[in-house]
Amino acid sequence: MKKIFCMILMLLCLPVCGMTGPLLPVGKVPVPDNNPQTEAKVELGKKLFFDRRLSGDGTMSCATCHDPNLAYSDGLEISLNYPTTRNWRNSPTLINVAFQKLLFHDGRASSLEEQALFPMMSAFEMNQNLDYMEEEIRAVPEYETAFTEVFGDGDTSRERIAMAIAAFERSLVSRDAALDRFLTGDENALSPEALQGYAIFTGKGQCVRCHGGAALADDRFYVLGVQENPEHLNDPRIAATRRFVAKVSHFEEYRTLAEDPGRYLITNDRKDWQAFRTPTLREIALTAPYMHNGIYETLDEVIEFFNAGGGKDNTVLKPLHLSPTEKEQLRVFLEEGLSGVPVDFIYPKIP
Amino acid sequence: MAAGPTVKQLMQTYPGKIRRVIKNYPYKYRDFSKTAAEASLAARDQGKYWEMHEILLTRSPKLDRASLISYAQELGLDVKKFTESIDSGGHSKEIDGDVLYAESIDLYNTPTFYINGRQIVGERPFEYFKKIIDELLKQKGM
Repeated sequence: MKKIFCMILMLLCLPVCGMTGPLLPVGKVPVPDNNPQTEAKVELGKKLFFDRRLSGDGTMSCATCHDPNLAYSDGLEISLNYPTTRNWRNSPTLINVAFQKLLFHDGRASSLEEQALFPMMSAFEMNQNLDYMEEEIRAVPEYETAFTEVFGDGDTSRERIAMAIAAFERSLVSRDAALDRFLTGDENALSPEALQGYAIFTGKGQCVRCHGGAALADDRFYVLGVQENPEHLNDPRIAATRRFVAKVSHFEEYRTLAEDPGRYLITNDRKDWQAFRTPTLREIALTAPYMHNGIYETLDEVIEFFNAGGGKDNTVLKPLHLSPTEKEQLRVFLEEGLSGVPVDFIYPKIP
Repeated sequence: MAAGPTVKQLMQTYPGKIRRVIKNYPYKYRDFSKTAAEASLAARDQGKYWEMHEILLTRSPKLDRASLISYAQELGLDVKKFTESIDSGGHSKEIDGDVLYAESIDLYNTPTFYINGRQIVGERPFEYFKKIIDELLKQKGM
């Protein structure tokens, strides 16, 4: 009886179309024509990703805030920072980042190649001078050899460093999650409870309206009224970071800015005030805490936020009226259904 | 340096419940990191490891040979023995062993903490560690 019920539920739920199109299994990774993926380039990018030479004082690498053991996030509300400073936003996962069209919570970069250099230059992240970094990398014979193998000569330009890191990041793909197997016809891929959660995800919960496609994200920005992280109000170093970012984004009132303007800093469009990018939900079980400022420690809190119709003044969400059982089923689906098969990660040897 | 106060606070919060073990992972591109590791172990030979450890954290980056010798003096160590030890690399075998061990467990960042095998990368707030330690103590019924 239970099996029949599940099968009926599956038939009702497939295919599902929201604003993002149907849910899709993870397929071929998109690769730009001007940065073809090669094994040697991915290996070089992996080394650079873990190399602390990329930070000004040699204390941080990309992997400091994007830890492979935490699905390439860092487990903190507000991401780690350059010594003596504070970051201001949560470290996003890099899993399936290849499928994203816009990067960062505010979408300020439109390719991984463009994105990679931002944290290196950022005063509160890796705080590195890129001209100096190019020479530091060039001074390492092993890198010169690797750049020659990958790019044809030993020039260690910032563009090539970014291209190699982007290639490595495109290799970080969560595959063969229960959802993928379910979408490709394995009717037993989801447990009965996760299957109920899937029905809520695609139906009453309306999650799929924004979290669709293979990436489970729509590359769009929404004002959900997520409350400010109290640390923003209490830590003067975060205030300094907020004002600094606003200042370099040419926001006139940067000195009195007391909240995170989100996408507005990029577009100057009033409708984007406190709008943030829809994140992927792949590997969501590993990427707590959640939201752009890490305000929610657990998925239960996130589900509660959406169930209540979002935060103050938001016009996007409406109350969902999910029962406690439905909320639980949704959480089970997010945890069980969206976790890919673990892949053994081999750490690089840094020259 | 920055993680030092947090570690101290943890030790004070859980007396008798947690044990701190330090492994050396001198960053090969830092001028004085290996000598500083030598200095801490040379001080250990004279029963002042933690005192030297504390000084190294608080006085970094002033970790050149002359400074290390002055710290040994400050701690009342036998300076001649101390200097001979750091100059001859008296503990280099132990330090190299630590580095090999670090590489074998894929350590790529300093500081990195391991709490009952769980890896935590980078300097983090006290509450972050507290949550993990409380969880583990609870599992052990402590």
